[in-house]
Amino acid sequence: MNLVGITINHHTANVELREALHLNRDEIIEFIKTAKKSILNEGFVLSTCNRTEIFGYPKEGKLDFNNISDELMKFKPVENITAKHFEKYFSCGAVKHIFKVASGIDSLVIGDSQILGQMKESFEIAEDMNFVGSVMKRVFDTAVKVGKRSIKETEIGEGAVSVSYAAVQVVEKIFADITTKNALVIGAGETGELAAVHLRDKGINSIAVTNRSLDKAERLAEKIHGEVIPFNQFTEHLHKFDIVISATSSPDYLITKNDIKIDMKKRRGAPICLMDIAVPRDIDPSVKDIDFVFYNDIDSLKVIVDQNMKKREGEIPKVHEIILEELIGFFGWYNTLEVVPTIKTLRSFFDEISNDELEKIKHKVTDEDFAKVEDMTKRLVGRLLHNPTIKLRELAETGTHTQETINNTLVLKEFFGLNGKIDEEQ
Amino acid sequence: MLSTIHFLNIILPFLYLFTFAAYLHDFLQEKNTFANIKRIILFLTLTLNCFYLIFRTIEFNHPPITNKYEIFALVACTIAFSYFLLELLTDIRGTGAFIIFFSVIFQTLSSVFIEDLIEVPEILKNRLLGIHVISAMLGYSGFIMSAVYGILYLQMYRAIKKNKFGLFFNRLPSLEILEKLNYYSLIIGFALLTVAITIGIIWLPDAFPDFSYSDPKLITTGIIWLIYGSGLVYKIFSDWYGKKLIILSLIGFAAAMFSLILSNILQNSFHIFN
Repeated sequence: MNLVGITINHHTANVELREALHLNRDEIIEFIKTAKKSILNEGFVLSTCNRTEIFGYPKEGKLDFNNISDELMKFKPVENITAKHFEKYFSCGAVKHIFKVASGIDSLVIGDSQILGQMKESFEIAEDMNFVGSVMKRVFDTAVKVGKRSIKETEIGEGAVSVSYAAVQVVEKIFADITTKNALVIGAGETGELAAVHLRDKGINSIAVTNRSLDKAERLAEKIHGEVIPFNQFTEHLHKFDIVISATSSPDYLITKNDIKIDMKKRRGAPICLMDIAVPRDIDPSVKDIDFVFYNDIDSLKVIVDQNMKKREGEIPKVHEIILEELIGFFGWYNTLEVVPTIKTLRSFFDEISNDELEKIKHKVTDEDFAKVEDMTKRLVGRLLHNPTIKLRELAETGTHTQETINNTLVLKEFFGLNGKIDEEQ
Repeated sequence: MLSTIHFLNIILPFLYLFTFAAYLHDFLQEKNTFANIKRIILFLTLTLNCFYLIFRTIEFNHPPITNKYEIFALVACTIAFSYFLLELLTDIRGTGAFIIFFSVIFQTLSSVFIEDLIEVPEILKNRLLGIHVISAMLGYSGFIMSAVYGILYLQMYRAIKKNKFGLFFNRLPSLEILEKLNYYSLIIGFALLTVAITIGIIWLPDAFPDFSYSDPKLITTGIIWLIYGSGLVYKIFSDWYGKKLIILSLIGFAAAMFSLILSNILQNSFHIFN
């Protein structure tokens, strides 16, 4: 198998280099056009913020990895990138790597579910560009299957692995039904936005945003279908919210213990969950001394993230099992590719002879008798070829008797004079 | 039938232990390996326990309420039954080990010490007494469950407050759910105890010539009823959140245990039958 591939990812290069080499959809399309002309017959290009990968069958069977990386560097020159930043894969190793990426165990965040979607998109682009043959198609399909099985059969994607999602996980351990609760997000930056999106995805009843810059608050509120509260008034509205997530860059506390004491009086003791995911902190940590005030800062939430990461790491061996199973299945199929043309030609050869002989007696017997003889001939050919066909296919599927498979195929070709016929058919 | 009764008497503690082990395994392993099987095992155990109690009633011609070991078998059954109902209604399966543990204890004590009683006072064969005792036992089962959920709530509250994200945090349902389970068990317990007390007040003075309202068991039961009742009134008519009602349910449970011990020490009650 001549499948080759190169990858630059978080194992091999820093984020600056990875970002610099990132290819957007249009660039991938352009690169495939170039690659088709010069280096690859078929393949695919995957590019995310953490990895850029190019896999395919080289033109004229030339197994030179440098061709691919040189072509990539020519297409998108990036300073300071050298050959050492690329991992290279070949044949079974290449297929295994693709499966590992699809399963999420090769991701920066183990079990990252986004990668499977990104791979599917890459495969679709390759298919649209007629850059895919039958083997590559099978690699794609099996990779997607590996990804889906990993999610379904293991816990590789379970648990929060980001601080903002861990905050939502804690909230769910306090409140039974988040759809009846109201939340306030303080700070419309990236972290605040992520937390707000998680809450919205969980079906929070209502969500409000407050931010020093009103524009940013309004933009985020629009995105998450929330309302905006003026930043200088938000403490007066605190009692309306069951969940407060704060993620600003303020150097001072935005919420003091006294604010929460007043808030709790207005709430008549109803629990409130305060998630401070800002550094430095936005909420005075002494608020946790108040009854029914559940306070978490970034350090405590990181404990959850670390726990979940460990759990995911513990699932890696199970994913490896799935990859191995699918690799065996894939190569079982792949190995039959060598014998399928021989089997097909052998059957055609036998059919041709029987048809010739049948033609000779066609006008010498009645139609009824001819039908009987024709039927008998078909059954005879079928029975004669059954054993050799099955044996040859079985030998090929195991993948462990390569030499025996080749020898048997050669014997068949030689004895029945199939060489010329196979070439003709192909 | 007697051999069936003896056989069930032997296997019931093991069945409860097995059920408890299945629930505990899933809780400790943070997996739901036995998610459906454990419910089926509980159902089968519960069914056999019911048959055991019915067979005893038929064979010995009295409801199994004539001594504390018969009552223990009844309590084991009512606890398991109450939990099974709650699990079916809420589909919360992570807390079973903490409740079924009590069924294991009560059924084991019962199985070890129970005797085949054929001759019992005529008064104990009364059907109204059977309803009185069964509703009281179901009521106390409710209080036991309420107390267990109360303890679990306090554990979870502590875990979240102190940011200890261990086994309890990962496996227990949310605080609000634990609070609701505590509350619902308490309501069921209170309602059934009220039924038991009502039957008792109506029927006992006629049935027992030495009946007295100053009987220690009646007084302590009254106090327990008042503790739970006042908690419910506060919960319904004012905004009592979480810990207050839970602590009250634990006080009520402690009072119930105290009452049980006290009434067994003070043997001069008309309420002592063995």
